[in-house]
Amino acid sequence: MTLEVKNLVKIFNRRKVLNNISFKVENGQTLGVVGFSGSGKSTLLKIISGILDPDGGEVIYPENSDIAMAFQYSALFDFLNVYDNIAFPLVERKDLRGKYSKEQITQIVKEKLKMVGLDGIEEKYPSELSGGMQKRVGFARAIVTNPQIILYDEPTAGLDPVTSTLIEDYIVQLKKDLNASCVVVTHQLSTIKRAVDNVIMLYQGNAVFEGSVDELLMGKNEYARQFVSAAIDGPMNIASK
Amino acid sequence: MFEVRKTLTYYGFLLLLRQIREFLETLGSVGVNFYKVLKYIILFRIKPKELITQSKRFAYDSLPISLSIVGMTSAIIAMQLAPELARQGGADYTGTLSALVMVRELAVVMSGFAIISMVGSSFASEIASMAVTEQIAAMEVLRVDPIEYLIVPRVVAGFLFMPVVFIISTTFGLICAGYVSHWTAELSLLNYITSLWHGLYIRDIFIAMLKSAVFGGTIALISSSCGYSAKGGAKEVGLATTKAVVWSFLAIAVWDFIFASIFYL
Ligand SMILES: Nc1ncnc2c1ncn2[C@@H]1O[C@H](COP(=O)(O)OP(=O)(O)OP(=O)(O)O)[C@@H](O)[C@H]1O
Ligand SMILES: [Mg+2]
Repeated sequence: MTLEVKNLVKIFNRRKVLNNISFKVENGQTLGVVGFSGSGKSTLLKIISGILDPDGGEVIYPENSDIAMAFQYSALFDFLNVYDNIAFPLVERKDLRGKYSKEQITQIVKEKLKMVGLDGIEEKYPSELSGGMQKRVGFARAIVTNPQIILYDEPTAGLDPVTSTLIEDYIVQLKKDLNASCVVVTHQLSTIKRAVDNVIMLYQGNAVFEGSVDELLMGKNEYARQFVSAAIDGPMNIASK
Repeated sequence: MFEVRKTLTYYGFLLLLRQIREFLETLGSVGVNFYKVLKYIILFRIKPKELITQSKRFAYDSLPISLSIVGMTSAIIAMQLAPELARQGGADYTGTLSALVMVRELAVVMSGFAIISMVGSSFASEIASMAVTEQIAAMEVLRVDPIEYLIVPRVVAGFLFMPVVFIISTTFGLICAGYVSHWTAELSLLNYITSLWHGLYIRDIFIAMLKSAVFGGTIALISSSCGYSAKGGAKEVGLATTKAVVWSFLAIAVWDFIFASIFYL
């Protein structure tokens, strides 16, 4: 499914957190969103997923598309165990209710858990898991319905390099399997290199760079250069809010 | 342009305005949620598994506190009434008066208070913590309506099971009152029971059950709504819980007044 964002504006407390953001993500494409902490990346995903309403602009995708989001802080239901968390949309979503048998659901949950390297923890509650494990369960829950638009908020933050690679490969794999449009918010260059096709960079609510991963890494754009080289000096000033 | 002098009155006025705004906001969110919950109930879209979980909390988990509060209240009433009535030659009215006071007013209100402190506050805090940790947002993205999943079962459980709590705790309370009258005024238990029947009216019991159902539904609705609209961090969870308790107390007082005016005026 093609996802398009047009002239998105979001204002929090009279401050423009997003200022005229536009982009398009084709089927089978992944857009990486990078930028400083507080630059509005999570806000962007929340608007696309419908949690927040924009103050201007629009989000366009085909009707009845299935949108999924893996949250930055997992957002697992703490009153349900891992199994019920992942099975939740399959069991509770109105249009999916009764579509899968109990055995099928068990099978699917098992498969998704295995995929994120966590088989055998079905009975555990989120509070019994480490942050990284919660993150992976959140990932599994997001994709359990085979969505066509997938939003990942820092899917590899806080994970060890090997697990990160595993998740990155799954992002690529899923995108291919489902022919999905994906948006990945990340701070990690490794994730950008491995799992992303195009990149948009936010700074103080504006898109200061848009292009392919290669263009980002080439560093012709001064913002991109500062980000990639992790330099303190450059057009972006972290001290100015 | 004239200048507003920032006097004490000015700040007092600002504070008042903020209170009024908060009042209207809460009223608005409770109203909106009530409308949505009612819609689901009419469509009979109530999740059975959730309903059972929440009903257990309402009827079973809260029983110790409801029993203690209602039991203590009736014991105290009997302690005050029985010796005095006995002194004035009206010992036979102890049971009648206890029944009237407990069934018509105190048992429902006291068990309401018990439910607010035990169940309402935990509804508010758990839903608020779900809100601030984005679990409710996650539910929306997973296309499950949080109102249907979280609030409807709680309100229905409150409506259905508060009368049960009322019946059990009132029975317990009247038994306590009987024993206390026996000990403090040497009233025979048989006398007490006979006198009790004179004060028990079917009409009163029905009204009290209806009232407790309304109380239960109201407590669940207000507590869940206060939790649901929490945003921010851990501090907001505390604020939402406080708000839920205060508003539930207030609502119960108002309902009680309405019921008394309708049925006993
Ligand atoms: N609900 C809200 N109310 C008010 N301000 C908000 C709200 N949510 C976010 N903000 C503000 O919007 C800005 C962007 O927040 P956002 O969470 O989108 O940043 P981010 O780019 O995801 O940061 P990070 O990399 O740290 O996750 C921040 O300055 C934040 O303070
Ligand atoms: Mg973020």
